[in-house]
Amino acid sequence: MGAIEVDKLRKAFPNGVEAVADIDLNVEHGEIFGFLGPNGAGKSTTTRMLTTLLRPTSGGGRVGGFDILKQSAQVRRVIGVALQDAGLDYLATGRELLEVQGRLHGLSGRRVRERADAMLTLVGLKDAAGRRVGTYSGGMRRRLDLASALVHDPEILFLDEPTAGLDPASRQAIWDEVVHMNQKRGITVFLTTQYLEEADRLANRVAIIDRGRIVAEGSPEELKASIGADIVTVGVPEDQVAGAEKALATLDGLKEIQSDAKGLTLFVHDGSGAVARVIRLLDKAKINVGSITVSSPTLDEVFLRLTGSRLEGATEDVAS
Amino acid sequence: MTTITAGREPRAVEWHGVREALRSALWLAQRQVRNTLRVPAEFIPSMIFPLFFYFVQTGSLSKLAGAFGIENYKGFVLPVALLFAVSNEGAGQGMVQDIERGYFDKLMVTPASRLSLVLGAMGGNFARITFQGLVVTVLALLAGGGLVFKTGLLGVVPMVLMASLWGVAFAALGIGVALRTGSGQATQGAQFLAFPLMFLTTTFAPRFALGTGWLHTAVAYNPVTYILEAMRAFSWRGWEWWDIAKGLLAVAALATVTISFALSSLRRRTR
Repeated sequence: MGAIEVDKLRKAFPNGVEAVADIDLNVEHGEIFGFLGPNGAGKSTTTRMLTTLLRPTSGGGRVGGFDILKQSAQVRRVIGVALQDAGLDYLATGRELLEVQGRLHGLSGRRVRERADAMLTLVGLKDAAGRRVGTYSGGMRRRLDLASALVHDPEILFLDEPTAGLDPASRQAIWDEVVHMNQKRGITVFLTTQYLEEADRLANRVAIIDRGRIVAEGSPEELKASIGADIVTVGVPEDQVAGAEKALATLDGLKEIQSDAKGLTLFVHDGSGAVARVIRLLDKAKINVGSITVSSPTLDEVFLRLTGSRLEGATEDVAS
Repeated sequence: MTTITAGREPRAVEWHGVREALRSALWLAQRQVRNTLRVPAEFIPSMIFPLFFYFVQTGSLSKLAGAFGIENYKGFVLPVALLFAVSNEGAGQGMVQDIERGYFDKLMVTPASRLSLVLGAMGGNFARITFQGLVVTVLALLAGGGLVFKTGLLGVVPMVLMASLWGVAFAALGIGVALRTGSGQATQGAQFLAFPLMFLTTTFAPRFALGTGWLHTAVAYNPVTYILEAMRAFSWRGWEWWDIAKGLLAVAALATVTISFALSSLRRRTR
């Protein structure tokens, strides 16, 4: 039995929006499972259903072997959750917050103090433990939120956009900890993210969700290999995009072509060899080439290939 | 960051239904009391208005009330001041803050039962309003000025507790609105329902002085009437056990409705 099993899970809101449409998932014990998709794709809704915060419209699932509908209390005993917005009590100190969380998970007085100490050390907040959470920086709050999700030593950890809005150093620190907890402690991690690099670096397997539907699932390597082509990205003026697309339609080895306002993305065999042919064809059509790059496929290209659009801003955010 | 390696251990505390729900509620109530103490500006003003009401009302109307056959007017008015002290508009606001900051979701993903989340909020509120009620009562007693407390010091604590029970039952309404709407304004609006309930009763005159018109009928159907009369049993009339019992029944009926509403609002949050 998997750590997380999802069967035709669906959520439609009263306003008619179908946020999640009959998805199936299976996450094995000890995996880091990346759930990748743009804003509004249905990632958080799925997470909220699996963590018993939201009732599915139909379908169901099991988390830690417990039914999310019929055994929701048991589910909550085996999971730790850090949601998209760090949910914290600003009037409590960092230590008090962890102690309340531990108490609500049934830890005894001595054990809760030990675990709070260990978690504060783990996330580097030992020195700030006696300060009120309201005085913490954004990065400190994220780390405290992660600590509060771990204080009761869960079997399965749900992380919903855990590094959104963090500076690169804090992001790296969170990534290191996620990998550490997974490798050393065997915690299964269900990680939702819109950051490609995050999914690529952390996840053993990835599911890509778009408009409530799973459009691909596999290891990052499998997904990238599924494209079976190199990527040639050509920057051209916006008013010449259509002309460039027409000019390149006859390119040898072309598998697919996608365009947007900034230029074209070509999926081709032997990308390096294709560059000279691309330039020749565009020159012949009198198209001004601003830039041209060749790369191996990334998860962004997988997403582009599957959905026709990119995960907007994700790459820039991670790189910043 | 430092890394910690330790094996997973079994829970130190086993889960036992109701007992565990009460234990969780206690931790949540304790957390709320701690937060209240950290922002005194949130509860100190709630004690000023009832005291102002008590001293102005009794100072200006004591003699007039005597002319209408109401003796010991201070003992008659003190329960009203106490009701004002425990019917504060703060109920549910803490819940709204938790919802807005995402902390309520954090509580919802713990194994703490849904009932304990509501009871915890009510418990914290109960501690706060009981303290407010005791301060108002003690200050009124210390001021003296002709106040004869009919049941003596023995009756002070049960009178304050009766008021607090009403206050916390009413607070469950605010908590329910907070859970249903997540809106601070809507939650505050719900608290204004306390005013008609507290004024369409024997606030200013006993029932025999209200005649037989619509007001008399409204007063008879208002649960606050029975709560107020139970409180007056302690401060004004003496140990009237039937009045006290009716007051407790009114509180129980009100609490059943408001807690059911709060729990139903909580269930709606997960739909």
